[in-house]
Amino acid sequence: MKAAAESRPAGIGRFRLRLLLAMMVVIALFVSLGIYFADRRAAQVTQDELRRDFQLELDALHRLEDLRYAAVADRSNSFAQNSRIHAALEDNALDLLYPSAEEELRDLLTNAEGSPNDAAGLHALFYRFLDGRGEVLAPPAGEAGTLLPNEQAALAQKSVPQTIETGYLPRRLARGGSAVSEIIAVPIRSTEDNEVIATLVLGFQPLVAINRDRGSGMKSGILTAGKLQLPDLGPAAEARLAGELQARLPTDGGGAHSFRTTIDGRPQLLFFKRLNPRSHYPPAYEVCLYPLKQLLARERTLRGQILGAGGILLLGGFVASHFLARRLSRPVEKLAVVSEENRAQRQKAEAQLQTTSEELQRSARFSADASHQLKSPITVLRAGLDSLLTREGFSTEVYEEIETLIHQTYRLTGVVEDLLLLSRMDAGKLRLNLRAVDLSRLVAEWLDDLATLPEAAELKVESDLPNELLVAGEKKYTAVVVENLLDNARKYNYRDGRIRIRAWEKNRRIELRVANTGRGIPAEAQPHVFERFHRAAVSNDVAGHGLGLNLARELLRLHGGDLRLVRSDAQWTEFAALFATANDLDGVADAAR
Amino acid sequence: MKNFGLTIVCALLLFPVRGRAGATIEGTVALPKSRLAPVPNERYEIVSKAGVLATYPPRGVVYLEGNFSAPAHLPTKQVAQKNLAFAPPLLAIQVGTKVEFPNLDDTYHNIFSYSPTKRFDLGRYPAGENPPPSVVFDKPGLVTLRCDIHEHMRGLILVLETPYFTVTDATGRYRLTNLPAGHFVLKAWIDSRTTRERPVDLQSGATARVDLP
Repeated sequence: MKAAAESRPAGIGRFRLRLLLAMMVVIALFVSLGIYFADRRAAQVTQDELRRDFQLELDALHRLEDLRYAAVADRSNSFAQNSRIHAALEDNALDLLYPSAEEELRDLLTNAEGSPNDAAGLHALFYRFLDGRGEVLAPPAGEAGTLLPNEQAALAQKSVPQTIETGYLPRRLARGGSAVSEIIAVPIRSTEDNEVIATLVLGFQPLVAINRDRGSGMKSGILTAGKLQLPDLGPAAEARLAGELQARLPTDGGGAHSFRTTIDGRPQLLFFKRLNPRSHYPPAYEVCLYPLKQLLARERTLRGQILGAGGILLLGGFVASHFLARRLSRPVEKLAVVSEENRAQRQKAEAQLQTTSEELQRSARFSADASHQLKSPITVLRAGLDSLLTREGFSTEVYEEIETLIHQTYRLTGVVEDLLLLSRMDAGKLRLNLRAVDLSRLVAEWLDDLATLPEAAELKVESDLPNELLVAGEKKYTAVVVENLLDNARKYNYRDGRIRIRAWEKNRRIELRVANTGRGIPAEAQPHVFERFHRAAVSNDVAGHGLGLNLARELLRLHGGDLRLVRSDAQWTEFAALFATANDLDGVADAAR
Repeated sequence: MKNFGLTIVCALLLFPVRGRAGATIEGTVALPKSRLAPVPNERYEIVSKAGVLATYPPRGVVYLEGNFSAPAHLPTKQVAQKNLAFAPPLLAIQVGTKVEFPNLDDTYHNIFSYSPTKRFDLGRYPAGENPPPSVVFDKPGLVTLRCDIHEHMRGLILVLETPYFTVTDATGRYRLTNLPAGHFVLKAWIDSRTTRERPVDLQSGATARVDLP
């Protein structure tokens, strides 16, 4: 019990620790998952905010654009109704086209290219007419704003546009550098049949709706025809960004898209959206670069808060799991204590059993060894006594004494042999070779031997046995049983006593009853009559060593039978020996094995 | 003296007609189908469809082509602006004819033409301008008349090198009289892109019937 008490804290402690660890792992897992998702969500939220900003600014831009469209459309409508322009187009007087339009468009044109625009951006930088097939009608030199030949060629369309369309034209500035012009193509319709007979293309400075004074460091530009115009960036960065953008341009064209990139090693969030959906001009995209420094700082703060909350949550979880583990482990603890006690008891019993078994083995081995060691000195002793008996010159008393001694050596041999047999049985080393043994004959042989003894004349022997009574047994040991019983009946008898021997078969057993007159076994000694070295309070003048009954019973039991005391009182002592019949040879053999 | 001179001029002008009975051609020009029923209505307008100018409901101009010497004097013709339209909308004249454009509306008009045949711009003028602004058409061809102020106004002047021409009625019927005898080509202008022709032999005093399908 003491050992169990000592081992308990270690086992239970381990269990509790494991429980705590498992719960902590689960809690930590949940908390870190929560942190992960919250973090992602936070990053998403800030990004969404920027996207909303971008969208709002773009919407503002589009509103301005719509204003410009309205102005331009208004202008183009009055234009489309201008008789001179119609006349020039319809009457094949193209040389008069630009001069006719000049007056009309004069106030629309700004004089200095790239000069700061008015707020609404309603002043055009240049204009060109496209004919009914979408080709550019070249203006007279110096009119309609200057354009390089390739820039002018880029205004052409594959077919005349049916609605106002916008495009973006990368241009090289006269004073160096490059810029993008927004071009608006307005169809001119015939007043007769409403067919588009020509297109007026107006070039404007792109509208800048993005408020740059917000201190956000945001930069915006336009990507068109694979070229990015973002004035605040260097040419190399522009080219690189253009490449990145080109790889991500959507095919559907709608919606704002974004991705992260770095400019000069600084992280940036880039938004882009197509400016001219449903236009036949090459797609152009508004590109906005937001420096992520502030965003990242915000994200870091947010992440710090999330981590702090997560840490507190984790700590709370640990404390909770500690208490929970303690509570959960209590019944298990109890169970463990009980089972520990059980185990200790079992161990003790097992140890005792082991000890007993070992002691039994040791004693069995001892009696076997002792028997062997004793047999030879007895033989030597007897041989010496025999030779003394043959020698002459001793008195008669001496001879009688020597004869007594020789008789004692025989007795000794008998004891030793019995011990040997018992020890073999105890050690489980006695192997029986079962045969059919005739019990009647064994009894008859003993009766023959008895006749040779001097006191036999005074004994009255009643024998009632069938002619043949076959029992299953090894003849040698069956004979020992019969002899022991009959010898006892002879020895513990009155001088003129009576012996009755009967045998019968009953319930597939053969019962041999041996009874004799005599003083009987005292009632208090009767329960111990079959114990080893127990001589049931008999006088010392009777030869015996207290092993016979024990041996007989052990042997009978080994044969599948038994021996019991039927009756013992002052007049009559009767033993009953049960044998297996020879018919049961197999079953007995199995049992004996 | 004055009366005598006038008499001489009249006699010179009328004598050949009287002296040699002129040939006559009459017939029908197959005009494009009109959605409107061909009612005897003198009103029509100039329309443009896919760059082709024509009258609507359709009318044709039938003229005799040949080498005719230009007369010493040609009568002045008029295309008025009345009710924000040219009247007549289609005018055929011989090369060298002077056309006046009187404004009969209460508003200003600015008649101009970008046609290669004759480019002119009369500028803005009100009604009652006297003399009315005029243009001499010295090259054969079609001239589109427009008004800079009223972009829907459209008029046509067909300048021909012959003195023998006429505008058909709404059903396409025409009649040319006092024609010289000889071998000529009779042409019918349908619209700015379509002109039909047929050779004719004219005999003095005879009436030829020529349909231009």
